[in-house]
Amino acid sequence: MSQLEPFLAFSAEVTAFPIVELQGTGQAESYLQTVEDIVGTQRLDRLLVLYQSLPLATREDIRQARADRLRRDIFGSDELGPIARNIIKLWYSGTWYELPSAWTEAYGPAPQDVTFVVAPSSYVEGLLWTAIGAHPAGAKAPGYASWQWPPHIPPFAGDPAATPR
Amino acid sequence: MISSIKKTSLAEIKARLEQHPIEAVIVGTGISGAIIANELTKAGKNVLLLEAGPGTNLTLQGYNEFLSNFYGATSKDNQAPYPVNPNASMPRSTNLRKLQPGETDSATYMVQSGPYVTDTNYTRVYGGTTMHWEAKTPRMLPEDFKSQTLFGQGVDWPLGYDDLEEFYQVAEREIGVSADVEDQSYLGVTFPKDYVYPMKGLPLSYLDQQVAKRLDGTEVELYGQRYPLKIRPFPQGRNGIPNDKYDRGQGYVPVGAVSNHQIEIGERCQGNTNCVPICPVQARYHSGKTLAKAFQRATGSIHLLVQAVASRVVIDPVSGRVTALEVKVYKDPKSSEHETVTIAATIFVLASNAIETPRLMLASGLRSSSGLIGRNLMDHSYLLSWATMPEICGTMRGTSVTGGIIDLRGGAFRRHQAAFSVDIHNDGWGWAVGSPYSDLTTLVDQYNLFGPELRRGLINRISSQLLLAFMIEVMPSESNRVTVDPQYTDQLGNMRPVVSFTVPEYTMRGAAYAREFARTVFARVGAADQSRYDPGDYGYVAYNGQGYAIRGGNHLAGTHVMGNDRNRSVVDTNQRSWDHPNLYLVGGGSMPTIGTANVTLTLAALCYRSARSMLDQLQ
Amino acid sequence: MDSSDITTLEELKSYLYSAMQLEHATLPPYLVALYSIKPGTNLDATQIIRVVAVEEMLHLTFAANLLNAIGGEPDLTVPGFVPNFPTYLPDGEQEFLVHLAPFSRQTIENFLQIERPSLAPSGVNKLVARREHGPFLHLGTHPRQTTMRYYSIGDFYKAIEDGLVYLEGEAQKQGKTIFTGDAGRQITSQYYYSGGGHLHPVTDLATAVTAIRLVIEQGEGQTATIYDSQKELAHYYRFDQLIHGRYYRSGDAIEHPTGEPVSVDWDAAYPVKTDVKLADIPAGSELHQAAAAFNQAYARFLAEITEAYNGKPHKLMEAVAHMFEFRNAMTVLIRNPLPGSNGLYAGPTFEVSPEAAGAPQAGAESLEVVA
Ligand SMILES: Cc1cc2nc3c(=O)[nH]c(=O)nc-3n(C[C@H](O)[C@H](O)[C@H](O)COP(=O)(O)OP(=O)(O)OC[C@H]3O[C@@H](n4cnc5c(N)ncnc54)[C@H](O)[C@@H]3O)c2cc1C
Ligand code: SF4
Repeated sequence: MSQLEPFLAFSAEVTAFPIVELQGTGQAESYLQTVEDIVGTQRLDRLLVLYQSLPLATREDIRQARADRLRRDIFGSDELGPIARNIIKLWYSGTWYELPSAWTEAYGPAPQDVTFVVAPSSYVEGLLWTAIGAHPAGAKAPGYASWQWPPHIPPFAGDPAATPR
Repeated sequence: MISSIKKTSLAEIKARLEQHPIEAVIVGTGISGAIIANELTKAGKNVLLLEAGPGTNLTLQGYNEFLSNFYGATSKDNQAPYPVNPNASMPRSTNLRKLQPGETDSATYMVQSGPYVTDTNYTRVYGGTTMHWEAKTPRMLPEDFKSQTLFGQGVDWPLGYDDLEEFYQVAEREIGVSADVEDQSYLGVTFPKDYVYPMKGLPLSYLDQQVAKRLDGTEVELYGQRYPLKIRPFPQGRNGIPNDKYDRGQGYVPVGAVSNHQIEIGERCQGNTNCVPICPVQARYHSGKTLAKAFQRATGSIHLLVQAVASRVVIDPVSGRVTALEVKVYKDPKSSEHETVTIAATIFVLASNAIETPRLMLASGLRSSSGLIGRNLMDHSYLLSWATMPEICGTMRGTSVTGGIIDLRGGAFRRHQAAFSVDIHNDGWGWAVGSPYSDLTTLVDQYNLFGPELRRGLINRISSQLLLAFMIEVMPSESNRVTVDPQYTDQLGNMRPVVSFTVPEYTMRGAAYAREFARTVFARVGAADQSRYDPGDYGYVAYNGQGYAIRGGNHLAGTHVMGNDRNRSVVDTNQRSWDHPNLYLVGGGSMPTIGTANVTLTLAALCYRSARSMLDQLQ
Repeated sequence: MDSSDITTLEELKSYLYSAMQLEHATLPPYLVALYSIKPGTNLDATQIIRVVAVEEMLHLTFAANLLNAIGGEPDLTVPGFVPNFPTYLPDGEQEFLVHLAPFSRQTIENFLQIERPSLAPSGVNKLVARREHGPFLHLGTHPRQTTMRYYSIGDFYKAIEDGLVYLEGEAQKQGKTIFTGDAGRQITSQYYYSGGGHLHPVTDLATAVTAIRLVIEQGEGQTATIYDSQKELAHYYRFDQLIHGRYYRSGDAIEHPTGEPVSVDWDAAYPVKTDVKLADIPAGSELHQAAAAFNQAYARFLAEITEAYNGKPHKLMEAVAHMFEFRNAMTVLIRNPLPGSNGLYAGPTFEVSPEAAGAPQAGAESLEVVA
């Protein structure tokens, strides 16, 4: 449980969803558990400690430095990169994707590492649909005739497109 | 709607059989079986329904388990909600593969003997395939009934549009169709004066409107004739806004969810974008709604036996009459343990769909004197073309499809090439490449995006997806067929269907034009074409130097064709078997051709017509 | 005592306004309980509460139709329209407070109090004397006996029905009618429908009485039977099924359902802080912003509905679509731990106006039945 806070902080930064919304999916604990079960607590710890050591982004140039470090040290790491990418995909789709075979060969075995939907509710809470102003097929229906209006795409901090294309 | 549908136990059925002779046994609880059952019970007939599946979805709880299965499934294919049942298997697209010439693949329930591998499917659960149909309900065009006379293609029907019109109306009432007559009156389709659909049409999606804005009013030219284009809404079997002008001003009361206790949630369509494979709120029609009416009206005279697989039709060799049906009743889907019971009745109705009905007949050794049982298998061929719209269109919202292009459903070009109907898919490239999941994995794993760039990337990539699905006409051909083979059996020892299919050249000419047509549309709306067809695709068909991935249409038909000549058809225009006077084969299998209409409304209309004949026979 | 409690058109309007307030007041508690249920659990309860909430929306709309029919102007944006929870019901019942609380046995018992069937079979004993408690809009009080309150929602609606009959009778004697409203302001099934019944326009006494009867029947049922005339189970009995752990089926006696079992897991709900307020959430936090944003969205929704009820019926469809949107906002709040609350969770506060501050004091209550 102690890992929940850094896990959420890391997740918020890499998904571009604020912690409130991540918590709001009700999936935080089970995602953390899923990652720990599959890749091991120690490996996840290492990722989160590394993450916490990144320079704080207060100024624009530091922001850039931070992004570069994130890329180089975490996403660019043979060992941690696939895990980081899987955490993003978990939040966005509720699915744990089987790690690349190169990863398993080097750092495995990871017996529980198969592609699966964490729980029926994690599919429903996938952020993919929130991001695009839609809803997962078969859940959170938007209401009769709502499809005839333009989508309401929620604004978010750091959106590279000031206005939608 | 509260319903008193109950499964009846085998012991009870046996006890009843001794006291109350059954007048009609109906195999299958899909829309065909449901309509027949409802009509016969209206006239007070004693009916037994057999369903191969377990019927867990009779309760709302069971229905919702299907939904939860779907949420939890890694592969969100058509059959994702429905548990595997080796005693009553169904085709599934997830493990198909391309065949080498002459090869047969028996790895999936429906054996593929090629050369074309079809991912068409149907559902063997209570409610049949309406549990996961999309519920588009167009009528066939008047010209579709005369394609031999008019275009020298296929065969003419023994019935015409005018013979079916009144039954179309009844079917539209039962299914609860939402549409507006103004939008559906085209290419010769007519309605009686003052007719309105039960409910008003569903509005076009924002995506449809973005396409329409640039495409409407333009034309294409084909064999010297010009065809104007317009995005139109499809009629849909899902609850919309009731039309108070319906039924001469009586209005229409939509049927909501059915369950056996008071907890109904009968609402209008909420835009779950999940009509296939299961509507969470039951806004979309399924045949359980029709059966609920039958059970409510006639508790004592209609019985439902589930986990009951019709396995052999027993014939009196002298008269040709069916004397009984052999049914394997299993206890548990996981085990082959079963009891075989023999059920006698006055008439027998096989409503188990255009694959399973001929399969059962052939497995019973009944090839029909015309030899046509299982032949002339038809299904629409689908070709997909997909592109990126020049702006955000809010894809992934609305029913699976709200609008499309129907202007090339009919016309003189049908002498040369197949007609088609075009759907604009509100669920983006899902059918073609697995969006939105594939977009997520591409952007994260390949494009190395994260944070705000990823979030924006997903918006731009998904919300502007456009997918056109061309539903292309397929004409009957005797070599396209369902057969059985004793080497391929299921867990209960029943022979499985074996399908051989070649996409006809007439259809491929239509497909080749469809691809060109898609390019024209993309050019006019300014969309970036992203389509590609992989030669390794199981549905890949090469034609004139080009390759196309052809998908199955789930619109199975033709395998017990109706006609006026007993040597050229299996059933008469009442869907009664020529060879076996107390046997009816009902459903898509009776249709001589399918034009470019999704088949269900038409097969439902035929069932209403046949029910009259059955009642006459039961007098 | 008069045969009718309501003797003027103005009184009738104010009663109908209270009726709208009443129907609306039940929505926030039902929604909080509904969305506090952990996903994938309590399927039966989810369906039951959902259907009741949808029907409350229908009733709200019926009340608006009634008010429009007699020339009133429904307004859901006036300060105080949305109660400050905990609250008494606007019909004057004061034996219990209505709370915003997570799904629990206690909460369902609270809902049973809300939907309780009328004690008074024929209008006798329907008024009870109650002591005043704290600030509250007392529009639903007896016009000339301000210390009197209605015992149940049914009794309150019965008074409205009597008033309609009486006033229309008086008007007819002079060759007039009280149904002078513009028919174009009526909301019909075209704009809103649910499984819970057909929404018909109210244009005269007959349609008005039908509307009221439907609301009464769907709410607490008739005294004699648990099913209403459309063979639907009244709200009281729907909730009652959760307490008894069984579904009712036709023919069942009150309090003795014999249908299929209802499985309830009282613990499978987020422990939302009861009657949570914005002030309970750390100022400046993301959570506080989200809660405030929800309240704004809710206020916007009420404004849209008001517009729909005032001559733009087609707007209702859009409003309902927004309702689906803020459902998601509510679940986000409900699933967030509330800092410093010992394991409780946040939730929507429904504070839509600055006026909604200062809770009524729940004190000792006296209840005496008057004939
Ligand atoms: C994904 C998908 C989308 C579709 N979309 C549309 C659409 O938009 N519009 C349209 O018109 N059509 C559509 N269809 C087609 C439509 O669903 C079918 O045409 C229709 O449901 C067929 O009804 P039926 O009653 O004839 O057969 P089915 O619904 O297949 O019913 C057959 C029944 O028989 C039972 N059964 C089978 N074998 C046995 C046996 N041996 N013993 C006992 N019982 C048995 C089955 O369990 C089932 O209950 C779609 C189909 C699919 C798969
Ligand atoms: S869009 Fe949704 S609510 Fe509408 S019919 Fe399809 S699944 Fe049902």
